[in-house]
Amino acid sequence: MSVRAGVGALGLALLAILIVLALSSSRRQPVAAQPPVQPIDFPHSIHVQTYGMDCQYCHADARRSEYAGLPSVSRCMGCHKITAADRPEIQKLAGYASRGEPIPWVRVFQVPDFTYFPHKPHVRAQIRCQTCHGPVETMRTAAGVTGQSLVNDLLHLVGVRAAPPPLTMGWCINCHRAENAARGARAPLDCVACHH
Amino acid sequence: MKRRDFFRIVAASGAATAAGGCQGGVEHILPLVVPNEQIVPGVASWFATVCRECPAGCGVLARNREGRVVKLEGNPDHPVNTGALCVRGQAALQRLYHPDRFSGPQRRDGAALQPATWEDALGLVASRIRELRAGGRGGAVALVTHLESGSLAALMDRWVQALGARPRVTYEPFGHEALRAASRQVFGRDAIPYYAFDQAEVVLSFGADFVETWLSNVNHARDFARMHGFRGGRAGTFIHVEPRQSITAANADEWIRNAPGTEGLLALAVLRSLVDQGLADRRFAEAVAGVDVARVAEQSGVPAETIRHIAEVFGHARPGLAVGGGAAVTGTNATATLAAVHLLNAAVGAVGRTVRFGPDSAYGQVTPFADVARLVEAMRRGEIAVLLLGPDVDPAFTLPAGLNFAEAAGRVPLVVSFTNAPNETTRLAHLILPATHWLESWGDYSPREGVLGLLQPTMAPVRDALPFGDALLRVARGVLGTEEGQGPLPWPTFEAYLRSRWEPLVGDRWGAALQQGGVWRETPAATVRARVAPVDPGPPALQGEGLTLLPYPSFRFYDGRSAGASWLHEAPDTMTQAVWDAFVEVPAETAARLGIAPGDLVRVTSPQGAIELPAYVSPTLHPSAVAIPVGHRYAPYHVGRYVSAPPTPMNPVALLGGAVDEASGGLAYLAVKVTLAPTGARRPLAILQATHDQDDRELAQHVDLAAAREQALRGAREPHALPSMYPPQQYPGYRWGMAIDVDLCLGCQACVVACQAENNVPVVGKAQAAYGRQLHWLRVERWAEGEPTHPTNLFLPMLCVHCEVAPCEPVCPVFAAYRTEEGLNGQVYNRCVGTRYCGNNCPYHVRRFNWYTYEWPEPLSVQLNPDVAVRQLGVMEKCTMCIQRIIAGKDRARDEGRPVRDGDIMTACQQTCPTQAITFGNLKDDGSEVSRLQHSPRAYGVLEELGTRPSVLHLRKVVRQHA
Repeated sequence: MSVRAGVGALGLALLAILIVLALSSSRRQPVAAQPPVQPIDFPHSIHVQTYGMDCQYCHADARRSEYAGLPSVSRCMGCHKITAADRPEIQKLAGYASRGEPIPWVRVFQVPDFTYFPHKPHVRAQIRCQTCHGPVETMRTAAGVTGQSLVNDLLHLVGVRAAPPPLTMGWCINCHRAENAARGARAPLDCVACHH
Repeated sequence: MKRRDFFRIVAASGAATAAGGCQGGVEHILPLVVPNEQIVPGVASWFATVCRECPAGCGVLARNREGRVVKLEGNPDHPVNTGALCVRGQAALQRLYHPDRFSGPQRRDGAALQPATWEDALGLVASRIRELRAGGRGGAVALVTHLESGSLAALMDRWVQALGARPRVTYEPFGHEALRAASRQVFGRDAIPYYAFDQAEVVLSFGADFVETWLSNVNHARDFARMHGFRGGRAGTFIHVEPRQSITAANADEWIRNAPGTEGLLALAVLRSLVDQGLADRRFAEAVAGVDVARVAEQSGVPAETIRHIAEVFGHARPGLAVGGGAAVTGTNATATLAAVHLLNAAVGAVGRTVRFGPDSAYGQVTPFADVARLVEAMRRGEIAVLLLGPDVDPAFTLPAGLNFAEAAGRVPLVVSFTNAPNETTRLAHLILPATHWLESWGDYSPREGVLGLLQPTMAPVRDALPFGDALLRVARGVLGTEEGQGPLPWPTFEAYLRSRWEPLVGDRWGAALQQGGVWRETPAATVRARVAPVDPGPPALQGEGLTLLPYPSFRFYDGRSAGASWLHEAPDTMTQAVWDAFVEVPAETAARLGIAPGDLVRVTSPQGAIELPAYVSPTLHPSAVAIPVGHRYAPYHVGRYVSAPPTPMNPVALLGGAVDEASGGLAYLAVKVTLAPTGARRPLAILQATHDQDDRELAQHVDLAAAREQALRGAREPHALPSMYPPQQYPGYRWGMAIDVDLCLGCQACVVACQAENNVPVVGKAQAAYGRQLHWLRVERWAEGEPTHPTNLFLPMLCVHCEVAPCEPVCPVFAAYRTEEGLNGQVYNRCVGTRYCGNNCPYHVRRFNWYTYEWPEPLSVQLNPDVAVRQLGVMEKCTMCIQRIIAGKDRARDEGRPVRDGDIMTACQQTCPTQAITFGNLKDDGSEVSRLQHSPRAYGVLEELGTRPSVLHLRKVVRQHA
């Protein structure tokens, strides 16, 4: 009798641990959901909103490469040789340029090594950058949050501030399915399209 | 709770706990400081250059990703190789990223090497030469390089002249001196001609291993496939005479095993028979008046009937082509032997058609071995004070033991090596000035008249190194005390000299020449007339007692210069399927007599010395011979990691005395007899294929030539269809498939190494390979049929055949193996948990398991293809049909708004195949080449009776019952 109770208690305890883990994981965020501290306090919001710059002006490789690319230090200096050259953050930039050093930006978005994510076909399919990268134009320092989904928008309407969906494979697949259904895109659903 | 949800929760909770540990890890991404116009991160740039792994000079395209070369491919525009590369060309990358490469100049300090600066090292060389010149001993400076035929050769000539050094030596261990001397003797032309295999109807080879190393193996293999492959009912004939069944011999319709050294006699007997049968010009009767076919038959062990039969086939060819060569024919009678072969060509009117003087081979510029031996003698006498050995020149390893190079080098006060990784010669050198690898260098190379290939740096040097030409110029400035722009050698760098030489040639089209990989033009064949005179290829002089030693160039290592690549050691020797270790091929009769079992360590003793090697008991080798591949050695990083150190050298030149073929000055490789003695120890070979007997499984199939012709007329193949209860699989887009022509496969292993390079396949080493744990996604099986002593060989490239009804898929508990909607068998590494059920259920044995997390010794990891995941411990892997190339090909087509066409996507194996035996494409497109081939009556699926419905079909080999 007591043995059975012991097994039962152990089972319950294990179940409880699983439930706690499951709950905690449902609130899981991408690694850098909170904006990291970058070597230069680069404001995305000012560049996009105030100056109306396109994402691909700086992230120029997105349309032709697997990687979106970062602007070279000399591209930054193209404007900042003159623009706001007296600000302390810009002087940091000028320091990197004069020393010929790359800026050690902290990575915000990352997919695992076994995943191949090419930007180019997404740009070609006219997917907005914000779909995956979230509202970067409103952020001072970019954080690793994904774009809003319809469910999130509805939750926002009723006043619940739910976290955006995590950057996981299920989220990728849902979008691929939705795009294929909605506008006949040919987004691949094969595992090996991304895992090879 | 559904099963899927359960996995999701468990997996997510695991990840959540793991993530806690990762919080601290911040990854940095670095932008370029100044953008490089040529580099878009993530997009490959291609640079055309020339392969310098051997003197064939094939065109190469180097794929550069983010500033690092990750793959080499043949240059489709280059006339020598038209897009293909051999096994050594594919593996050249591993010498670029050689883990043992010197990091800058080294100066010997007793037994150890100490780092030096370029300034000091070059200054030392210059000051020594200056002192010698001041003392009137400029001639004590000797410069030795491998074959160079372009600007570097011209620069070296100027350098030697300006400094008053000894005439430079162009040293090639396989220099084909006898071929040149025979041309001089028969045609009065001191040159090595161009052989047009594709124009021949019958090829008759006397020992020339032309699909392995002879002259220009990729070119010959491609042309041979055009001539010999079954196409539209036509197929050429190939007869090969050699005492050993080499890969080339295994591709012959008729392989004739002769007694070693009797090739010349046989050539004359064939000529005699041609004359007797009225199939040759009467004026050649004079040359063979004294030849007695019956006597030759007795000496060579080839029946007189066979000789007459060869003559009949060869004489009726329109046109024929006779070639002679290979180490087995380089005896002391080599020139006479090859003169006999030349006469044979002249007698059937092949000269000017299949044998063309005019586009002469660069091999004609090689310094004969006798002169190299003279240089070694001069060294021994103390006449040489400064010995400069160019990149990769390794006389301590490649020269016959009889010359005792090491001892002679000990009498040279300053030995300088420009080799960039340690070898036997750098161990003797006082100064090592590592030259840049050819993938890091400017240069040009002309493999034959009319073809001028251009080399350009495809990436920045991996280690601190200096272009060889730059080093020469800097030394010359130091010696002559001149400034840049002055004196007899005014160019600041070799690149400047190169450009100055190309300026008049290409003018402002320099960029176009660089992009194309060089310039080429047709060179018309010159008219030559044969001088008919008797030749006497009597038996070669053989030193010693016992069995005749046949040292032959390894198709994987050539003379040993390519042996630093671990891919080449791991790619099996096709005939024996042995990896890593060297071996001595012992004829079965001798092995039985001496009680030698496979893997027994055997002491091979010649008058010059002895080496110990494990035995490979060969049923095919001539009973009076013993064969050992030349060039086998390990790089320091191999030892301990992949193999254990062998007790003696593995290179058979350690058994040679250095006898010379007097007529040409070439080294006689066929020069000694050896005795064998079992040592009692064992060193079993790692042999990847347990048997060469198909045992009625019909894995590699063949069809008679007559039957193939009849089938070709009758029409398409009838697919092997088993009834199924399931609806047929639908392919909404493409369906990828492959056709592999077994008739065209020569067994050269280029595809195996290309696949390894493209797909980040690790190297496992000898011990693991002996367990069958090699990770090759693609292997070339050899199957032997018929008489064990005289088999018909079938080479079967075997890879995942991407079954439509795949046995691997239903047994995977985690859905890691699955069928994609484009007809591939996908393998999802991140799902795989390593049960190995799929591998056990695969009837083709093409799935590979990662028993360890394999490592790439630095900087070999730099070569890894960024488009392919590196697998880890516990993961199954297999051929993906280069899914990364499929994705890239579809992407390009999408950019252009069109569907994928034939040729858009080439798998790595297909791309490098010299004979184009592999075809990949879309099976849903009826017009594609792969569809056409899969409907060929020769097509069959390996083990298709199991109902697997493979997407990769093979095409039966066409065999000639009588050549």
